[in-house]
Amino acid sequence: MIRYEDVYKAFDLPVLSGVTMSVHEGEMFALFGPSGTGKSVLLKSTIGLIRPDRGHVRVAGESVFHGGKGTLERIRRMVGYVFQHSALFDSLNVHDNVLMGLPEDELRGERGARASRRVWDALELVNLEPTQVLAKLPAELSGGMKKRVGIARAIVGHPKILLWDEPTTGLDPVNTAAVERLIVRLSRELETTSLLVTHDVEGGLEMCDRVAMLDGGLVRFCGSPEEFRESPDPVVQAFVDRAAAEAALDLAGDPSGVA
Amino acid sequence: MNGAVARPVTGFLGGFGRVARLVVEHAGAMGQLLWSAGLATVRMKVSFREVVTQMYVMGIQSLPIVLVTASLAGIVTSQQGGYQFQGNLPLYVLGSLVVQTMVLEMGPVLTAVVLVGRVGARITAELGTMVVSEQIDAYHSCGRDPVAILVAPRVIAGTLAMPLLVAIADVVGILVGMFAAKLTTGLGYEAFLYGARLFWHSWDLLYSLTKAFAFGFAIPLISTHMGLRTGGGAAGVGSQTTAAVMFMTLTILVLDAMLPPLMLQ
Repeated sequence: MIRYEDVYKAFDLPVLSGVTMSVHEGEMFALFGPSGTGKSVLLKSTIGLIRPDRGHVRVAGESVFHGGKGTLERIRRMVGYVFQHSALFDSLNVHDNVLMGLPEDELRGERGARASRRVWDALELVNLEPTQVLAKLPAELSGGMKKRVGIARAIVGHPKILLWDEPTTGLDPVNTAAVERLIVRLSRELETTSLLVTHDVEGGLEMCDRVAMLDGGLVRFCGSPEEFRESPDPVVQAFVDRAAAEAALDLAGDPSGVA
Repeated sequence: MNGAVARPVTGFLGGFGRVARLVVEHAGAMGQLLWSAGLATVRMKVSFREVVTQMYVMGIQSLPIVLVTASLAGIVTSQQGGYQFQGNLPLYVLGSLVVQTMVLEMGPVLTAVVLVGRVGARITAELGTMVVSEQIDAYHSCGRDPVAILVAPRVIAGTLAMPLLVAIADVVGILVGMFAAKLTTGLGYEAFLYGARLFWHSWDLLYSLTKAFAFGFAIPLISTHMGLRTGGGAAGVGSQTTAAVMFMTLTILVLDAMLPPLMLQ
């Protein structure tokens, strides 16, 4: 479904140094790695937000960067993107923010009349009460609600692929668990292919069918969660141990006492 | 000895080269931005409602500060002209000085400088914040064109609103200058208007509005261009806004210097 071939990207220094991996149709795939290893860069390249210096990115067999504008538009229509900090449009209320997730041609004519109903349905799918949030501006929402509205915007167009860029960043453990349950439920209910970039290694291992780890701009590991946990690679092991220790620290320091 | 002479020269040339490259790079990027905004306008992708909203923000909301600035410019021109003319030139020439100064220079340039601070800086900061908070990426991911949504309405609104603001600034500056002349030098209104008509050309008004048109086009174009190139979080937004204000101010002064040889021959 998604194929990265020898993807290379440098800003001042190389971030991706020849990443090759595939995400299969219908699976939930988690991408791990230390900060600055290019996980989000790879995710953004999937819908053409960042152009690699070298290599190919293919979605559903079509090249993101070599297929022309029409291809990119088609790819973006089949992909829903959940941003790290929600990226809601400040000047638009929740209704209009979610409405943005629908292609422009679906806002006109007879289909346009049904667009508000779809916004309503999308908000209900992410466990938000539409009557309470539709008219609110992003500034009036809590962090968890913003995440849910961002997710509603990503799913309203019924995408085939969902890209999740650290969707639990900045959330407390209670909201993190709730959003992770939501990710699993939506991916199953909507029958999407999901690619999840996350720092929550334990959460990612529980949710996903396959995982990969980026290190030094390359794919260090790619396989099942069980294989990842039992990997003999010392770098993978060190990463797993560090992630477990950080998770324990997070829980210990959580004022809500949820552990 | 030769090396000692060569180092400053190569340093100067290197610096000049860097500045030239930066200018060309910005000019190219703005050309692309303008092309995209033009295409979006021609393809009717620009929201009329958003253009009206931006005209309200740039025009109506800027009116109070523009009126204050124009009034003060009229007062200062009138007082300083009166001081210089007394005992040297017939005072009615003051009418011509105030009118020509307001119409040819003070009206357009001061209004543009006010808009750089009030509107241009705001646009850069707004778009810059949208870049660093990934809202621009979100537009792309939703299949929307941020240039059609954010850039084109602002450029159209600025180009339309600025001539109106400058026309109002010209009139207000002249009227306040006329009152100030009466109060400070005792020059009567009829004498002031007589002096104003002596050196008046209708072309001057067209020149003033052409300047306004050029400034009104440049301010939103530069501010959106700079905003969309923001990077580096909150600090990046701050430094980019500062750079945009400098860039816009310099551009206004350069355009101000370029237009007389083109139009006042």
